[in-house]
Amino acid sequence: MATSATSADFEIVTSDRSLGRNMPQQIGRKLWLPMWLMAGMAFAVGFGLAVVRAGETADGGAADTIMALRHSVAGFMFIGFASVFAAISFAIARILGEFRAGGGELQEATGRHVRTLKMPITAKLFIITMAMAMMAIIATVVLHFVFAADVTNTAASLETAEQRFVVLEGVRRIGVAVYLVSFLLGLGTIIEVLRFQAIRIRELAGEAVAS
Amino acid sequence: MATMEMIHRPAASADYSRPSRYRTAGFLLGFMGLGLALATLVANVIAAGGIGENPDNVRETLAWSFGVTTTAFAMLKFGIATVLMGVLIRAWMRVEATKVALPQLKADGAAFPTSDYRSPFGAATATDTAPPPLMIHRIAPKAWGPAVAMGLMLVMAGLVLSFIRVGETDLSVGGTFSDLGAWVQGLQFLGEAMLLGGITFLLGSILGTLRNGGGEVQESMGLTVKTLKMPLSAKLFMALMMVGIAQFVLYIVATGVDDPAAWYAWLGPFRELSLGLLLMSIVLALYTIGTVLGFQFNRMREIVTEGS
Repeated sequence: MATSATSADFEIVTSDRSLGRNMPQQIGRKLWLPMWLMAGMAFAVGFGLAVVRAGETADGGAADTIMALRHSVAGFMFIGFASVFAAISFAIARILGEFRAGGGELQEATGRHVRTLKMPITAKLFIITMAMAMMAIIATVVLHFVFAADVTNTAASLETAEQRFVVLEGVRRIGVAVYLVSFLLGLGTIIEVLRFQAIRIRELAGEAVAS
Repeated sequence: MATMEMIHRPAASADYSRPSRYRTAGFLLGFMGLGLALATLVANVIAAGGIGENPDNVRETLAWSFGVTTTAFAMLKFGIATVLMGVLIRAWMRVEATKVALPQLKADGAAFPTSDYRSPFGAATATDTAPPPLMIHRIAPKAWGPAVAMGLMLVMAGLVLSFIRVGETDLSVGGTFSDLGAWVQGLQFLGEAMLLGGITFLLGSILGTLRNGGGEVQESMGLTVKTLKMPLSAKLFMALMMVGIAQFVLYIVATGVDDPAAWYAWLGPFRELSLGLLLMSIVLALYTIGTVLGFQFNRMREIVTEGS
């Protein structure tokens, strides 16, 4: 086994006590559940409206009503997606918080110096991409509702509404894709933390107790 | 070596300090998927400008861009699955590291009595030996590979059909263009659901490794084995996952009905609802992982400070 890396090879903070969770991790602990519940409610409303729209379509309902419902359904569904993606991000942040706080407290319990990994670049990008993705999706949701209210039963209005839907669909997809990239970065950070902790716990055994 | 690591626990002598190749591969796949999704955004914007003026071009563009977008999302999800494989391997390495280090850090203390008890993280049990793996923890390590592979194949099959659909001229209601559209959506969303299913099985595998590894470490030290019982979040996770995967059958039914337009009006949102349920199950799995980690760090502190 050619093990050469030590915890000193990482960007770390050394302290006498556990640093506990940082702010994003504290937010993650508090917000994952509200986001999860909001997602469930938005999916239920969106699906209910979609069933109404299916009924309108089957009964030959007014074209403007069907188009307005189309925008509204997409709006509610993507409130759901934005919320559930936020919940995933917060749950990942919560895991990272358990590693940071738990790892620090374990080192503190052994009486050794506490070495804590500084926030890696992937973690910073995780937060930035998550915020970008959420803003993109929320913007499309708002526009879907605005456009739903703007539809009239004229050929020009229906055509404009269709154009707007296609463009918003593209932007929504990018929002989702960026969210998925943020998950990759968050999970990649977990791998790095696991690597650091596997090195650090082996070091503890051979390290003198801090005076 | 990488293939072996995807299936087997790494050897105790494996280099735990080396950066993960799975992490790098997952990031690469993710950024490729993002690039593909950006390309379809451009196609959508161009197509939107042609609505009312060039309907054939709009129809054809939307037909292939749908297939390509879903493929981009599949690449991103495969990237996530690849990173999770890396997490799984590192979780095994964490078990080995703890087995080596913890006995040297352990305090002297009396054995903890065996019984069920209430831990700060939920109901737990204390036993003489490590409890056997739960059924989901036996299934998940075997299921994630086939689920991910089938998911990728289905998405690719849908992508091929989406390109075939572009050249279709039978545009009648219930005609070939419409039928192919249903198949593309059915195959690709089944593929996406399978990929998400693979991701949930990977998360289940990680949970299994944490549970079994925790028991293994404690048993190897001759300690009472404390194990968290399956939390409610883990039970809900499995229920939501199963509901989420059931949506694809309805797409196949839609190809055989007289008025598919009315079906597609709610099948699209139902598909999204199903994907949403799968994503909600993933949240619960991640939450459970966080809870188990909290329990394990607490147990390690007990061993270091109390020795029991």
